Amino acid sequence: MSEKPIPKIAQDDPGYKMIMLGNEAIARGILEGNAIVAAAYPGTPSSEIMPAVAQCAKYHPEMKVEWSVNEKVAFEVAYAGSMCNVRAVAAMKHVGVNVASDAFMTAVYHGVRGGMVLISADDPSQFSSQNEQDNRYYGLHALAPVFEPSTPQEAKDMMKFAFEYSEKYNIVVVFRTTTRLNHGRADVVFGTIDKKEQTAEFDWDRNRWVCVPSNTRPQRADLLHRMARMTNDADEFPFNKLVLSDRTVNGKKIGFVAAGIAYSHLQDALVELQLENSVSILKLGLVNPLPPKSLEKLLKHVDVLFVVEELEPIFEEQCKARAFEFGLSNSVEIHGKDLLPQQGELHPETITAAIAKLCGIDYSTSEVPALEISAPPRLPQMCPACSHRNIYWVMKKVAKKLKKKFANNNDIGCYSLGVYKPLEMADTALCMGGSIGMANGMAKVLPDDVIVTAFLGDSTFYHSGVAPLLNAVYNQNDILVIISDNSFTSMTGGQNNPSNGILLTEEVGTQIPIEEVVKGCGVPADKIWIHEAYDMDGLMEKFEEAAKASGVRVFINRHMCALQELRVFKKQKVVLPVIKVDPEKCNGCQVCVRQFGCPAINFNFETKKAYIDQSQCRSCKTCIYICPQQAFYVEK
Amino acid sequence: MTLSKFNCFTIGVGGQGVIRATHILADAAMAEQYPVRTAETHGMAQRGGSVSGYLRFGKDVHGPLIPKYGAHVVIALEPSEALRSVQYANKETYYFINSSPILPLSIYQNRKISYPNLEIIEKELSKITPHVHIIDALGLAEQAGTSKSLNVVMLGFAVGSGIIPLKSKTIEKSIEKFVPKKALQINKTAFQLGFDEGGKIHE
Repeated sequence: MSEKPIPKIAQDDPGYKMIMLGNEAIARGILEGNAIVAAAYPGTPSSEIMPAVAQCAKYHPEMKVEWSVNEKVAFEVAYAGSMCNVRAVAAMKHVGVNVASDAFMTAVYHGVRGGMVLISADDPSQFSSQNEQDNRYYGLHALAPVFEPSTPQEAKDMMKFAFEYSEKYNIVVVFRTTTRLNHGRADVVFGTIDKKEQTAEFDWDRNRWVCVPSNTRPQRADLLHRMARMTNDADEFPFNKLVLSDRTVNGKKIGFVAAGIAYSHLQDALVELQLENSVSILKLGLVNPLPPKSLEKLLKHVDVLFVVEELEPIFEEQCKARAFEFGLSNSVEIHGKDLLPQQGELHPETITAAIAKLCGIDYSTSEVPALEISAPPRLPQMCPACSHRNIYWVMKKVAKKLKKKFANNNDIGCYSLGVYKPLEMADTALCMGGSIGMANGMAKVLPDDVIVTAFLGDSTFYHSGVAPLLNAVYNQNDILVIISDNSFTSMTGGQNNPSNGILLTEEVGTQIPIEEVVKGCGVPADKIWIHEAYDMDGLMEKFEEAAKASGVRVFINRHMCALQELRVFKKQKVVLPVIKVDPEKCNGCQVCVRQFGCPAINFNFETKKAYIDQSQCRSCKTCIYICPQQAFYVEK
Repeated sequence: MTLSKFNCFTIGVGGQGVIRATHILADAAMAEQYPVRTAETHGMAQRGGSVSGYLRFGKDVHGPLIPKYGAHVVIALEPSEALRSVQYANKETYYFINSSPILPLSIYQNRKISYPNLEIIEKELSKITPHVHIIDALGLAEQAGTSKSLNVVMLGFAVGSGIIPLKSKTIEKSIEKFVPKKALQINKTAFQLGFDEGGKIHE
């Protein structure tokens, strides 16, 4: 076999230009900044960062990379790298920072040795998240600097710079991005890969690294000094830019404050209104702390200030406070959330319309006629042959048979989609690992005719399901835990995890079977069931047994993620059997499409017969089991 | 470089190649020296759901999102998905639509929801713009060698119309960069088949 060429992202080729996803540009910045340790737990929209870093690490062997089991561990792994004098980065989605925050909030007290960056990928509009929290607040909360790039190019450049900044101010840098930056592409020009001498060594400075109050009290005082120094220097931050214009719009000098993707939209809006040279703008790359002198200049220069920011009014409130301090409350009019929504991502036309209104400019777009039809909803769904669907189907049947209700506490993963029709099998879902935690509580209070269950996947179980399972065993909270093990962290793109034992680098690590962990938590062997998810008869029988039993019990439903298995089939050139519908047997009852909901099964409303979309079918044969007429068959 | 901005919105169903098509056009636009921005659907929203790719290029382009009524071109890899793009369309927008439907599960969950037929989709979109062009891209993709090349047929169709201000040679080079070697010939054929159809829309 011929040697694969080194991927462009890993090459030392300054000046080279390519189209990069924001997350790839971040990875390139991590390489150019010469980070040695990189750890993450996957989560949309951050997931593509680490695979791109791993591509670099393959050709830069000094880099140590891993999928950690959760964000807190990822942060700690990276932070320990910093303690040992090498540059380090941890990446996660916004809610992952909540998990890591216990470590982060005190790490800023201790400070850093090697530069340390915490990437927080926020998700305004909740494209793939349970909330849209604004993690700029973590900077204010922890007294940490927050960087926010507005383009993929800036993401790369700022990431490289972040390590240097972290070392200069002895602080963990929060690198905040949003979905449109992470999942948007742009032309990016490479810089140099600046390899510096980094010797990993520990200093055994226990007066610094041990979080006893006698250490952290003086560190807290020092942290306040460090923040004061960062604030003082913020006006010189290389990715901040203040442009003052003496022109007026309808007799008033207009100014803006913006950062991140909102700044890009603002630029588009100003082009649209032909105002790009007529207004003053403070563009922020450092979104905490804000640059005091630039802000003062801007506030004194303009008559009207419009803060264009997504989500919370963080800049706006600070601008109003500064205006008050400078005695400008009566001379400058400050707008923000009075003109823009606080929920959801901003759109360019929303900003354009708000500016036009504020400036008294006539701006109307050509209305288009409303249509009489709209696209039928197309929600995300579990894939054809998904093993989660099978166990949900079985749970429904067993509940019916036992004439009992499940209170099914669900979790974060593909199986969250079980909340939708036709299965409607998720009753609660709150956060990673929350299923088992909440089941503990429900078991304490609900009557016996309700079977309290927790439902989660393999990766979520390793992430934060172990502690609440221990809790259930210890406190004898009577719950049934269903772990639907498909060997991958599927929702975020099929990353490896301890269930398959393969590492981020594709090297072989240690596989940790879930049943071994469960046993280790104190669940007795006769309260653990393990079954193949495609064997519906067996699944039904065993699950009924588990449902009827009492005490803390665990049911492991197991089959490889259908998307990943398809890859294996393709590689091994496996020819799958063809499943068909016998039109003689199909009576048009529609159980398959209205109750089971496999995307590969369709229904012809004219012939009143079900049929299989062969391009989607993965031949799991579950339809053969669920059809009351046995109309599905394997073609010989 | 004089082009101020060009906005192309691609939409389809997860797995159809919306993101790849957007990436190919972005790469071609960069090769022609334009600043480029895209925004794409990744993650949970991708599981069999509606997927879209915003592409913008030109000297005055800053953000990745196409403003309301701002698309010059809409490429719909699935006909009903074309209806989901109307907020970006105006009376000069060119629609390039593949005719083969992928039925959403919602039609089985709610008896009030039905899948609109192709003639109605065409008639409705024609209320917005006279430039609605539909082809059987699935048929052409299968003719090229695999149904998976549907997205490249649609790229060819849009480019062949002459509405996208990029040279077809540049796009072909970008296709070569992103398509696996063994599938290259199929994709070249797919692009050409679409391109020829695109040339006919002005007839």
